[in-house]
Amino acid sequence: MTHALEMKGISKYFRSTDVQANQDVDLNVNEGEVLALVGENGAGKTTLMNVLFGLIEPDEGEIFIDGKKVEINHPHDALANGIGMVHQHFKLVPSFTVAENIMLGIEPNKAGFTSHKEENAIVEELANKFNLPVDPTARIRDLPVGMQQRIEILKVLQREAKILILDEPTAVLTPQEVKELFVVVKDLASKGYSIVFITHKLIEVMNVADRVSVMRAGKMIGTKKISETDIPDLASMMVGREVILRVDKDKSKPGKPVFEAKDISVSDVNGLAAVSHVSFNVHAGEIVGIAGVSGNGQTELVEAVSGMKSLDGGKILLNGKDISKTSVRSRRDEGVAHIPEDRMGVGLNLETILDENLIVSRYNQSAFSRFNFMLSKEIRKFTNSIIKSFSIASAEAGEGISKLSGGNLQKIVVGRELSGDPSFIIANQPTRGLDVGSIEFVHKTLIEARDKGAGVLLVSVELDEIMSLADRILVLYRGEIQGELDAYSTTDEEVGILMAGGKVKEKSGKQEESVK
Amino acid sequence: MKNKKLRRIFDAFLVPVLAIISGLIVMAVMIRISGAPIIESYQVLLEKSFGCEKIGFNCPLISTLERATPIILTGLSATVAFQSGMFSIGQEGQFLMGSVMAAWLGYAIQLPFGLHQLVIIAASMAAGAAYGYIPGLLKVKLKVNELLSTIMLNLVAIQIFIYLLEYPLRADRTEVAHSHIIEPTAILPTFFRGAKFGWGFVIAILAVIGVYLYLWKTKSGYEMRMAGQASRFALFGGIPSDKAAIRAMIISGALSGLAGAVEVLGVHRRIMGGFATGIGFDGLTAAILGQRNPFGALIVAILFAGIKLGSQLGLQLKFGIPRELGGTITGFIVFFVAARKFYENNIERVREWFDKRRAAKLEEEVN
Repeated sequence: MTHALEMKGISKYFRSTDVQANQDVDLNVNEGEVLALVGENGAGKTTLMNVLFGLIEPDEGEIFIDGKKVEINHPHDALANGIGMVHQHFKLVPSFTVAENIMLGIEPNKAGFTSHKEENAIVEELANKFNLPVDPTARIRDLPVGMQQRIEILKVLQREAKILILDEPTAVLTPQEVKELFVVVKDLASKGYSIVFITHKLIEVMNVADRVSVMRAGKMIGTKKISETDIPDLASMMVGREVILRVDKDKSKPGKPVFEAKDISVSDVNGLAAVSHVSFNVHAGEIVGIAGVSGNGQTELVEAVSGMKSLDGGKILLNGKDISKTSVRSRRDEGVAHIPEDRMGVGLNLETILDENLIVSRYNQSAFSRFNFMLSKEIRKFTNSIIKSFSIASAEAGEGISKLSGGNLQKIVVGRELSGDPSFIIANQPTRGLDVGSIEFVHKTLIEARDKGAGVLLVSVELDEIMSLADRILVLYRGEIQGELDAYSTTDEEVGILMAGGKVKEKSGKQEESVK
Repeated sequence: MKNKKLRRIFDAFLVPVLAIISGLIVMAVMIRISGAPIIESYQVLLEKSFGCEKIGFNCPLISTLERATPIILTGLSATVAFQSGMFSIGQEGQFLMGSVMAAWLGYAIQLPFGLHQLVIIAASMAAGAAYGYIPGLLKVKLKVNELLSTIMLNLVAIQIFIYLLEYPLRADRTEVAHSHIIEPTAILPTFFRGAKFGWGFVIAILAVIGVYLYLWKTKSGYEMRMAGQASRFALFGGIPSDKAAIRAMIISGALSGLAGAVEVLGVHRRIMGGFATGIGFDGLTAAILGQRNPFGALIVAILFAGIKLGSQLGLQLKFGIPRELGGTITGFIVFFVAARKFYENNIERVREWFDKRRAAKLEEEVN
């Protein structure tokens, strides 16, 4: 039987980073099938897909479409062969309408003049054909993320792709939107389309795929039918060892409040209200999870709490002391640790050496400097102790860090922030983009810190992470707290409804869905 | 460990070195167009810039170092600013402020030898620092782009310089305005009779070491570099970036002011019309080509001074090639550095080619 798509013996070596990104990788997808492609970060999924889409030229390997060998040297070739890609970060023009975006570059025209009417009609027809209703005249910037993704999919379908590559499509969606996406994907497959679904969330794999291919360290580890595998099996294939997926933790024993936010408001870079009148507290020895879809005020909230941004109103207290107007440094000196969401741009300085990255919040302390001079011997000792106690592989004192993997970079951040027993830890998306092994490490470290008596404010858009780590859950929606839930008794659905702006009736046993 | 460090330095300077080689190739073409023999021209250029038969008077190498002295200092000035994330090109203006201050105090006050120079140097550095403080403050308080403000302030400085030279400091009614010669107590001693090479160069070398230690071994330097390399990281870590930026501009200004003092006290002993223009710009180039490293700036400053002197004393006198060729070549070198992507891509390609060849050879041996 010929496959709709077959990749054979793909190899790619990156000289600049000395990485064998793909090594003799085989992959095939049948017509009408959903194939999940999973693997840790850096396993080579993206490289493989970029080869397929003509963005990277492989060192070796062949690609067959419907059994025929094809040359793909450019995305144009990929499209011509019926391969379409929906990128993780959408490539839509925000100020254009839906129809304009879908028809971009292939506008129907008469002597160079395009007709919006015609465009809208084509898009309408397309949407009906695939049962993906959209408003052709709506502007992209006014649409929710889930809808934008639908438009990306339509865009690819309009270009007559028969093979769709979805690169981590659920990363930006609410749980409800994820469900809708799964319906769309399955529907497309039943219409005869072939779909490659890239993800590292194994629950999604089990829900949507027919078969799953697992990659690790540039190699294809194996392909299995969904009916013949389960999550622990896939996880151990991904990391090459058994993984404890559930986080082991005891119920929290909250002490007195370490952090209190009282009626705080924060504005975003454009001066618009991003967080309005939010109050909450974090006790010693508990993890408070802030759930919410990305962009609902999390970034601004964290920046205000850490001192990187000033408050528009309200007060914040640390151990009972008002720190609303104090600097980042004085907050850090008082015991605030901060794991930022953007480790490359905020949490680390990739241009300098490891040592200088590790002392950023404490170079001023007498242990590391005397008068104006840095004590390089002491700094080196500290660096080596962090490398050891957080087992940061391949990092070396005195060396640069720009070539380290995401997991190791995050270990540097976590190591720096959690050494010295902080009393209050802000962890914003602490495992974003990390592989399973590193996620496990970060989760364990946070729980250890909690058990030692620190208060932890965990902000995450990953519902799983919130559910498994937090003791208490607050849902942030449009800059306000939509509701508070007890992590031990709530369900994914309850949190999901709050995340979408709905309400949960308390203690009635049944939740009431009233989105907006 | 040592090897890695060497490798890093090699990588950092590969592009500047290739740019300089490219500049010299362009120079060959221009020499050819002027009708002079290429090989001999280069020989003469080398001889009249870095050659030296006898240490002392009439030794081109010594003259090159003398000419490089103010460029080293303005180069350090730009290095400090760049390392702190301030793209200041105000060296020219700060240099002029330092020069005017030195020329004035050189004759206007009477102090014993030794103290006189120290007082003047301190005052010139203060003048330069004050002139650097303005764009620093504008940047931090009002978010005025430092590139624009320093360009403007350079123009303002030139006018202030001309006014002071033409009126209050003017010595006599000669055609070209110049100030009084400074007192003998204010002169920076030279090492050889007849050459202006002296303590100024020593001061420049000490400044190179000082700037290196300051930037890489002190807390203030750490703050400045972190704020310059990654501003969000600095904010996140609690580094007082605004203070660091202002400090950078003050130190940068002081170094350019020092360059002015050294040039007046050590070389010209007065200021006059057309005084030492372009030293600020040359320093800027030295800082960029020197990879924002004090030692890099030192090497490039000496190289540039040599190329200029060699084209002037060698190419012009011997072959009649206009001495402006020197300036043209340094301009080309800057241009080639700006095209660094071109070099990087080709370096990568060359490396890949070597790798493939090596792999092919290995395969052959195996078979």
